[in-house]
Amino acid sequence: MRRLAGLCLLATIVVVLPILFPDNYYVTVVGVTALLHAILAVSLNLLMGYAGQISLGHAAFFGIGAYTSAILTTRYGWDPWAAIMAGLALTGLVSFLVSRPILRLKGHYLAMATLGLGIIINIILVQGDQLTGGPDGLGGIPTLSLFGWALDTDLRWYWMMGATLLGVVWLALNIIDSRSGRALRALHGSEVAAEMMGINTTAAKTGVFVLAALIASLAGGLFCHQQSFISPDSFNFFFSIELVTMVVLGGMASTYGAVFGALILTLLPELLVVFEDFEVMIFGAILMLMMIFLPQGLFVGLQNLVLRWLNRRRSAAFGAVGE
Amino acid sequence: MALLEVEALTKSFGGVTAIADLSFDVPPGQVYSVIGPNGAGKTTLFNMLSGIYHPDDGSIRFMDQGVVGRQPHQVAALGVSRTFQNLQMFFNMSVLDNVMVGCHLRTRTGLFSAALRLPRIKREEKLSRQWAREALAICHLDKFIGQEAGSLPYGVLKRLEIARALAVEPKLLLMDEPAAGLNDTETLEMRKLIRRICESGITVLLVEHNMGLVMQVSDRILVLDYGSRLAEGTPVEIQNDRRVIEAYLGGEVQYAL
Repeated sequence: MRRLAGLCLLATIVVVLPILFPDNYYVTVVGVTALLHAILAVSLNLLMGYAGQISLGHAAFFGIGAYTSAILTTRYGWDPWAAIMAGLALTGLVSFLVSRPILRLKGHYLAMATLGLGIIINIILVQGDQLTGGPDGLGGIPTLSLFGWALDTDLRWYWMMGATLLGVVWLALNIIDSRSGRALRALHGSEVAAEMMGINTTAAKTGVFVLAALIASLAGGLFCHQQSFISPDSFNFFFSIELVTMVVLGGMASTYGAVFGALILTLLPELLVVFEDFEVMIFGAILMLMMIFLPQGLFVGLQNLVLRWLNRRRSAAFGAVGE
Repeated sequence: MALLEVEALTKSFGGVTAIADLSFDVPPGQVYSVIGPNGAGKTTLFNMLSGIYHPDDGSIRFMDQGVVGRQPHQVAALGVSRTFQNLQMFFNMSVLDNVMVGCHLRTRTGLFSAALRLPRIKREEKLSRQWAREALAICHLDKFIGQEAGSLPYGVLKRLEIARALAVEPKLLLMDEPAAGLNDTETLEMRKLIRRICESGITVLLVEHNMGLVMQVSDRILVLDYGSRLAEGTPVEIQNDRRVIEAYLGGEVQYAL
C-alpha cells in the first residue's frame, strides 16, 4: 500500500480543508479552480512528463469537452451527463485522428504542430458563433446533479472536482506503475531502444495522447457546468502554456508534482493581487527564481532535498551508534 | 538450417554504398562475429537486421520469416533483440524498471486494465519483476537492482543493456561493440557473459573491435570490408587468411594472441 501513500495524503488534504474552512474564499472558490487545473496538469503530465511528448495545445481538448457539453445542453436540451459523454466521444475521435500525423514529429516540431492545433480549435470556437456564441461566449449552461443532489454551491463543486482529481491521480499512478507506463517512460528515454524491446511506440504515443485528451475533455465538461458561462478565452493558447508551466514548475514526470504546480500557479496570482500593478512582474520573478534554484521542479526538487536531508540524518544517527 | 539467412543485402546512403551484395548464414547456437575496419558497414548491417533501416535490395530471413519491411518492434516479436554501440539506456528509469521494459513482449495487459489496476496487473507485475531479476542475475547486476540507471558507471551500463535485451527472451541477440570502453577485467567478464548467453541457447551475433575478445569468444567470424564480404570462417581460418591479414588485421592478431 506504500504505492498509494501519497494519494491518501492528498485525499486527506482535499477532504480536511473545506471541513476546517467551509466558507473560506481560498478553499471553495480558488480551490475549485486549483482542483480543475490539477486535473488538467496531471493529464498533460502523462503525455509530457512521462512519455516526453510536448503539447502546447492541451487547452484545445479542454475546450472541445466544455463546448460540446455546453452546446448540447443549452441548444438541444441534452442531459448534462450525456452531453459530457458526447464531449468525451468527440474528443476521443479528434485526438485519435490528429495523433498519427502529429506524433510523428519530435521536439520543436511537435511543439509547433500542437500549438497550431490549439490555435485552430480556438479559431473554430470564435468563428463558429452560430453554435458557440463566438467571442461573446455561451451562457445559461445548467449545473450538474449527482443522484438528485444538485451541484449548486461552491462547496458542492469543490467535492465534485476533488473526487474527480483523486480519481484521475489514482488512474495516473496506476498507469505509470504498469507495463504501459513503463513503455511510455521507455520511449521518453530512448525511442529506438523502446522499439527494440518490442514496444509499438506509435501505438503507445497515440494511446497516451488520446487518454490525456479525454481527461482534459472531462475537465472541460465539468468546468462548463460549474461556470454556467464559457467563452473561447478560457481555452486559448495562453492557457495551454499555463498548463505546461504547471507541469514543469511542479516537476516533470511526477504526478504529485503536477498537482503541486497547478496549486501554486492558481494560488500565486490570487495572493499577489495585493501588489496591484506589480502583480504580473512579481509573478514572473517568482517563476524565474523557482526554475533557477529548483530546475527539477518545485515538488521534485523539494522532495529530493528532503530525502537527502533524511539520509544524512540517518547516517549521522548510525555514526553516533558506532561510536 | 541457419537461424538467420542474409542474401544479397545492399544499402546505400546518398550514393555511398554501406553494404554491397552481402550474403551470409548464421547457424543456431553459436557466437557469430562480424568484424571489419571502421565504416565497413557493421552497424548499418545491425540496423537492417533489427528493422531500423530498410535495405535497398536483398533479403533477410529469420527462422524462415522475412525481416525486411517489418518495424523494429515487429522484428523484436520474432525473437531478435539487440544492444547498442552508443548506450541507449532509459536513464529516466531505475535499473529494475529498465529490465522490466524488456519483458514487454512476454506480457499482455494494456492501458485500460492498467488504469483500473485490475487483478491481472498485479500478477503480471510480479512475473515481470521475477524475470527481470533473473536477467539481472545472469549479468551479475543483482546488487544494482534498486538504483537509478543514470547513477551507474559505464561498464555496468554496458551489462545492463544486455540484461534488458535478455529479458526479451530472444532467440538471436545482436551485440554492437559490448566491450568498447571496457578495461581488461571488464572485458574478461564480458567474454564470460557472452559465452554464458550462448550456452543458454541464445545465438549471438557480435560486432566488436577488440580482436582478442573476438578470436576467443567466436565460433565463426565474418570479415567485412567496404560493405562486402572479405572472408568467413572459424577464428583460426580467419587468422590465417592472407587477404584478411593484408587488408585489416596486419600484425595485430599476433600481438593479441
